[in-house]
Amino acid sequence: MEEPPLREEEEEEEEEEEGDEAGPEGALGKSPFQLTAEDVYDISYVMGRELMALGSDPRVTQLQFKIVRVLEMLETLVNEGSLTAEELRMERDNLRKEVEGLRRGASAASPEVSLGPDKMVVDLTDPNRPRFTLQELRDVLQERNKLKSQLLVVQEELQSYKSGLIPPREGPGRREKDVLVARTSNASSDKEEKTIIRKLFSFRSGKQT
Amino acid sequence: MRSSLMPFGPPVSRDRVITSFPKWYMPDACLQLKEHFHGQVSAACQHRNMGTIGLKLSKVVVVGDLYVGKTSLIHRFCKNVFDRDYKATIGVDFEIERFEIAGIPYSLQIWDTAGQEKFKCIASAYYRGAQVIITAFDLTDVQTLEHTRQWLADALRENEPGSCFVFLVGTKKDLLSGTACEQAEAEAVRLANEMQAEYWSVSAKTGENVKAFFSRVAALAFEQSVLQDLERRSSARRQVGDGDLIRVEGSPPETQESKRPSALGCC
Repeated sequence: MEEPPLREEEEEEEEEEEGDEAGPEGALGKSPFQLTAEDVYDISYVMGRELMALGSDPRVTQLQFKIVRVLEMLETLVNEGSLTAEELRMERDNLRKEVEGLRRGASAASPEVSLGPDKMVVDLTDPNRPRFTLQELRDVLQERNKLKSQLLVVQEELQSYKSGLIPPREGPGRREKDVLVARTSNASSDKEEKTIIRKLFSFRSGKQT
Repeated sequence: MRSSLMPFGPPVSRDRVITSFPKWYMPDACLQLKEHFHGQVSAACQHRNMGTIGLKLSKVVVVGDLYVGKTSLIHRFCKNVFDRDYKATIGVDFEIERFEIAGIPYSLQIWDTAGQEKFKCIASAYYRGAQVIITAFDLTDVQTLEHTRQWLADALRENEPGSCFVFLVGTKKDLLSGTACEQAEAEAVRLANEMQAEYWSVSAKTGENVKAFFSRVAALAFEQSVLQDLERRSSARRQVGDGDLIRVEGSPPETQESKRPSALGCC
C-alpha cells in the first residue's frame, strides 16, 4: 500500500492539469497530496448532488450530516496541509538562495583569502590605480627639491645682477685679462653654488651618513 | 667683492630685517620672555665676530593634521599669497626665507610636510636635524589640537632630545570670534605648556601674526645658533690653550645653559 502514493507523487503535475480540466468530478481522481480546498468543495458538490438523488430517506439525511462533517474535517486538513506546504516551500527557497549566496561569496572571496589579510586587489582598468613605488616618489621628490634649491640660487644670483651688486660682464671684444677674471669668477660661482646647495641639503646628507 | 657677497646673496627685503628681538604672542606660553638679544650674541654680531659662521641656515619642520593650513601659513609668509583652493601637499615641500638678524644674514629652511597619513613615511624622513618644530592645528577643530601631541612625538623621535624649539600654532584665526577664540587659545596654551612649546594664533588668510610669528622663530633659532657657535669656538680655543679667550664675553656655564632651548622655557 505504500507504492501507489509515491507513483502518484511523481506524476503529480500532469494529474493536476488533468484534474483542472476534468470538472468537479476530477477532484476525486487527484492525489490526496495535491488536494486543495477548491477540490474539497468540488467533491462536496458532487457528493451532495448524489445524496440529493437518493431522496429524503431519514438514513440518507443522517449520513449526509456525517459526510458534511467528514468533508469539513477534510477541508481543514487540506487547508492546514497547503499552508504547511507553502511554508516549507518558502523555507526551501530561502535556503536555496542562502546557499547560492554563500557559494558565490566563497568563490569571489577565495582569491582575496589566498592573498592574505594585508593584500589589495588592483583594478587594472582604473586609470587612477596605484602604479608607482614609494621609492620612485621619494626619488622624484628629492629631484624636485634639488631643482627647487637650484632655482632659488639662480634667482638670487639674477637679483644680484639686476640690483647691480655684480657688474655685468663686458661684450665679446674683451682683453685676455678680463677673460681670465671672468673664468675665475665663473669657477668660484660654480663652487659657491655647490656650497649653497650642499648647505641647503646638509641635513639630508647628514642623515644618510 | 663677489666672493664676500655671494654667500649671502642680494640684500634681504626690508621686512626681513630684524634688529630688535621679536616678542612672544602670549607670555604664559612662550619659550623666553627676554626682549633683547643675548648679550654675547649682540656683541658677536656687532663685532662681526662671525668669521667661521658663514651662511647661517636653520631647519624648520612644520607638522600637523591635513587641512589645518601648514602650506597656506608658509605661503602667506614666503610668497604673501593665500589660495582658497585646497591642494594636499605631496610628501614634502620646502621654502627658503632669508633674513638679516642683528646685521647678520640668516636663512630659514622651512620644510612643509604632508598631513595625509599615507605620506607620513616619506615626510618623517625629513624631520631629522630640525632646529625648530612647528606643530600646527586648526583653531576650529579641537581634534587637530589633540593630534599635535602625536605629531610632535614623531618629530622629536628623529631629533636629539632638547635640541629643538617647539612651537604650537593655531591656524584659521579669522574663523573664530572673540570668546570662541579665547576658549580655543586657553586650551592650546595648556597643551603648549605641557609640550614646552611657544603658542601662536595666526591666520594665513588675513595674514594676522604670520610675519611676527616667523620673525620670532627666526630670531630664536638665530640666537641659539650663534650661541652654539660661540660655545664651540671658545671650547676649541680652550683646548688649544689660545690666550685669545678674553675676547669672548660672558661665562661658559651661561652659554651651556642657553644651548638647551627647553631650559629657556619660562613656564
